[in-house]
Amino acid sequence: MAKRETPLLDQLETGPWPSFVTDIKRQAETKPECWDILGILELSYKDRITHWKHGGIVGVFGYGGGIVGRYADVPELFPGVEHFHTIRVAQPASKYYSTSNLRQLMALWEKYGSGVTNFHGSTGDIILLGTRTENLEPFFWDLTHDMGQDLGGSGSNLRTPANCIGMSRCEWACYDTEEACHELTLKYQDEIHRPAFPYKFKFKFSGCPNDCVAAIARSDISVIGTWRDNIRIDQAAVKEYIAGNYAPNGGAHSGRDWGKFDIQKEVVELCPTQCMWMEGGELKIDDKECTRCMHCINVMPRALRPGVDTGASICVGAKAPILDGAQFSTLILPFIKVTKDNDFEELTEFIEKVWDWWMEVGKNRERVGETMQRVGLPTFLSVMGVEPIPQHVKEPRSNPYIFWKEEEVEGGFERDIDEFRAKHKA
Amino acid sequence: MALSKDELKNAIEEKALQSPKPQLYIKDFYACDPDAKPRDIKNVANEMVREGRLAFWSSGSTTMYGIPSRIQNEEGA
Repeated sequence: MAKRETPLLDQLETGPWPSFVTDIKRQAETKPECWDILGILELSYKDRITHWKHGGIVGVFGYGGGIVGRYADVPELFPGVEHFHTIRVAQPASKYYSTSNLRQLMALWEKYGSGVTNFHGSTGDIILLGTRTENLEPFFWDLTHDMGQDLGGSGSNLRTPANCIGMSRCEWACYDTEEACHELTLKYQDEIHRPAFPYKFKFKFSGCPNDCVAAIARSDISVIGTWRDNIRIDQAAVKEYIAGNYAPNGGAHSGRDWGKFDIQKEVVELCPTQCMWMEGGELKIDDKECTRCMHCINVMPRALRPGVDTGASICVGAKAPILDGAQFSTLILPFIKVTKDNDFEELTEFIEKVWDWWMEVGKNRERVGETMQRVGLPTFLSVMGVEPIPQHVKEPRSNPYIFWKEEEVEGGFERDIDEFRAKHKA
Repeated sequence: MALSKDELKNAIEEKALQSPKPQLYIKDFYACDPDAKPRDIKNVANEMVREGRLAFWSSGSTTMYGIPSRIQNEEGA
């Protein structure tokens, strides 16, 4: 394949940031078809329209996901990208790799593909960009048989579950995110590899409310670690922070002089529910008012830690902004135990109940969060068998989410208005 | 399921052949047996893919089903 002239793309190399154009040119030195990636993109810039066709029927036998078909609509001009399919390889839990594993994967991709990668896709998969249809099965055979790795999810499948580093490196993890992610990945192999749903479905596991995998923003079911007892306080360590002997935020902001640490200004007054105060030189917390924002724990990690009665909050319905804008997931279950001792039973029962309902009620290409919005939270809670609680109310009074049925109200909705007005003036 | 598995497969195939569009969503097959659970329809449709009677068509974000020759004809057009 000949080198392509790309005057428009070349301008992208002149900015202050590293450019993908430079990267692809470098890759083209060993993989000449990469010139055609630049060529077809240059043509799209000129024509102001994409020259990729939409979708296709490529895949590996038995799988309905993991491969995303991409074909050029001008193959005669750019034969190197006539087929340019994407392969999604499932990432290991917490994205722990050995370098030998990465080298093996890259050798495989140099053999069967363009060598172009994306670490990682928004679901966490390793994205391998650009191969031909005839290379898919040999690649898949080597990936699964020689490396013991698997494809991730795509299309209307359960997408590759993702988790934070959890208990492997983080003392704040309120449940074992890696175990949960691994076990559920194994349990739901069929849903990951074969389409089952009206649209994509994601779950993500964060060990604490810092939510390092952004579960609340990006997953249809977010499993976010929390605790239901009190934040553990080491008052001696609090004093060390106040005295300036411990760096706040684990020293993360120490590159600049911020002045003396001020616990009142930097912790107590920043508490969103104002549930903290200093009393007699000690930090006090009214834990029942805590909304798990994690700010105080993040600032003073040697003094404050999550409680010991730990589990997870389950939120449902996050999505990116394709329709109606982005939305966070909505709190449905404030606390459940997430443990392998019962095979994550409480969690999997909930997940499957959501699926059964959504498969029935969800419209084509409708995320579960959109279905929830369409039918309303009261209906969703009722179908899930979840009792409404104050935490389900988004905006009390101005936007009440909870409605009572007549049978739930003492005396029903029938009343004598004259008797009522005798006590309550209009 | 009101239909036997073979009857359901035939109904799905018929639906995919008669549909104006070559690609159908999984929900489009629910009407083939209104008494069947969505999961049963999904399992049968996926089995038909393994048998070569249906094929997956994926945009990357959504997966649809169709008769392989019908989809190929459209893609080749």
